[in-house]
Amino acid sequence: MATILTVDDSRSVRTIVSKQVKDLGFEVEEAEDGVQGLSKLGEREYDLVLLDVTMPNLDGPGMLAKMRENGNKTPVIMLTSESKRSVVSGVMKIGIADYILKPFKPEELRAKVLSVLQGEGGAGEVLAATSEQPAAPAPEPSARVEAGKQFVDVLVVDDMENVHKKLRTMLPAHITLNGVTSAQAALQSCRQRVYRVTLVDTEIPDVDSAVLAQQLKVLQPHAAFVALALRTTNDVLGEVRAQGFDNVLFKPFSQDNVDDFIGQYFENLDLLTAEENVLKAAAFAGRADRMDKYYNRIGEAFAGAINKVAAACFEDLVLDVSAAPTTGDRLPKFLLSAAEQAKQVGMRFAVVGSPDLQKILNSYTETKELRFYPSVSEAQAASQA
Amino acid sequence: MSSERFSEQLEQIVLKRISEDSLVLPTLPSVVTKALEVLKDPEVAFKQVGTIIERDPVLAARLLRMATSAAFAGGTKKVTLSEALTRLGAKSVRTLLVEATAQKVFVSRDPKIAESMKKVWQHSVAVATLSRDVLALSGNADSEAAYLAGLLHDVGKPVVAAILLEFERQMTEVYNRPFIDSAEWVAVIARTHRVVGVALAEKWQMPEQVTRCIRDSAEYDNADRASLVNIVCFSNSLAKKTGIFAGSIDPDEVDALVMIGRSIIGANDEIIKTLTRGLKERVANLYD
Repeated sequence: MATILTVDDSRSVRTIVSKQVKDLGFEVEEAEDGVQGLSKLGEREYDLVLLDVTMPNLDGPGMLAKMRENGNKTPVIMLTSESKRSVVSGVMKIGIADYILKPFKPEELRAKVLSVLQGEGGAGEVLAATSEQPAAPAPEPSARVEAGKQFVDVLVVDDMENVHKKLRTMLPAHITLNGVTSAQAALQSCRQRVYRVTLVDTEIPDVDSAVLAQQLKVLQPHAAFVALALRTTNDVLGEVRAQGFDNVLFKPFSQDNVDDFIGQYFENLDLLTAEENVLKAAAFAGRADRMDKYYNRIGEAFAGAINKVAAACFEDLVLDVSAAPTTGDRLPKFLLSAAEQAKQVGMRFAVVGSPDLQKILNSYTETKELRFYPSVSEAQAASQA
Repeated sequence: MSSERFSEQLEQIVLKRISEDSLVLPTLPSVVTKALEVLKDPEVAFKQVGTIIERDPVLAARLLRMATSAAFAGGTKKVTLSEALTRLGAKSVRTLLVEATAQKVFVSRDPKIAESMKKVWQHSVAVATLSRDVLALSGNADSEAAYLAGLLHDVGKPVVAAILLEFERQMTEVYNRPFIDSAEWVAVIARTHRVVGVALAEKWQMPEQVTRCIRDSAEYDNADRASLVNIVCFSNSLAKKTGIFAGSIDPDEVDALVMIGRSIIGANDEIIKTLTRGLKERVANLYD
């Protein structure tokens, strides 16, 4: 268990810090000035020191300098009411991992203590690759919901409420949506919620949508940003991308466009799930005339997934399509293409599906040779045999 | 007389002129002054503002360009100036008027300082953009003051540079005596630009919080964490850390200001990355 030393001449600060550090599951010891602090460091090793600046006998910078002179490299977080740049710059030169200004919020202390103890190095060089870094794709919500914030799929920022209502009627019920009509309300909402996609109208009166989108991005760094715009003869997609949007959704909405939007931001994410060398296609839940798009997207997802399985050095690839629709010839065509891709990367390919699918595959010359199994366990048993 | 002593004297002259109100500061063009006056009326008629701005075709063209940019949407059809102003809204028009005027202050015909002032202007735009975005962390959408405060935080620099240029001409051409070196130039500007910037902001009747930022944003105000001063101070350090600055900086001090700002503003690494991602390109593209 990590042990932390808090050095501060204020008993109340030491008490508060000690309680919070103990709540994190760490041991804590206290010292009331730099002299006591150095003495404690001489007696045993600590994993982290939380150090005040202004103290009697020996102040924080003095203690820090002595520590480093003595070869003690224990990470130090300054915890102080001192915010003069010359003072902080001075202790940074001697070597601190991070800095917390008093009075502090418990979550800041927790976050920075954990960051340093987990070897992330505290403040670190966070700006090194800022310009070159591409926008992150929208990850799974479970990976990014911040503590205490409710996750919502879509935020619509448009001054006309009818736009929210219209989009609501065109989205499936399981996709959650919040609508706001002003920039202020959008900012407030983005402080309180975590969104997967934020739609921003480009014609809100008195609002520069590019600026608003940039502001919202600060609060929603993982969300995708889609502009709501009218169709024009211009290259609207190019224009909104130049302003920092990821995409555009045209108004008035068409069901086709909205379905594409859903496909891009909500369905592809779990259309093909992977567990080791088994890929499982999700069920198709849409209108029959959307099935082509379903197979197009699943084909795109497969191309990425197969490389990951190959990279993990599996020799067999099992594709479970029990939930995929068997109407028409789209599924056999997809399986044929998948088998070819598996062959190209040097993997053996097996299909898991329903008895109906087996009949269909047997009815085509090109697919009747595919290795077929009625369950994943049987497919895996066969590959181990 | 040593160069250091000479620069101290120059500094005293600049400060004395400020205190005596005898320093000649750039004025707002009459078109801008009148338009800003009319815009104070919350029930403003944009047709009236348009009539005033039309007298400055360059300014009118700039506002039209902004209003018809895709950022304000509807980018395809032609609009009249009053339609453009209505689309932009009073707050944005006010900011754009001040921005257009301030940019002229940073333009110099003297090649010696022109390039440097262009960089200071780009830095100012970066700080303005960051200030507006950092303000969003507090959920506050009224970002025009933050933008202006960031934009004008260094506005005293080109003014002091122009004064020094004039001093240099007098010394070298009239009295045939040497002038201070470039390092001393930078030092005099660093020591005097804030007081000159404050005088300029007051003359332009900028909001009090904008003036306060020009005066105080070299350090954080830990008594008022949510202050605009702290937002501009943090944004200034982030712009420098991102490499958008003129002249030389002390990297240790910049790191210290970023580290303090992370705690004061409550910005984690992820937020900082989002704030600064593509900033150089955004600033460069704004005024190409």
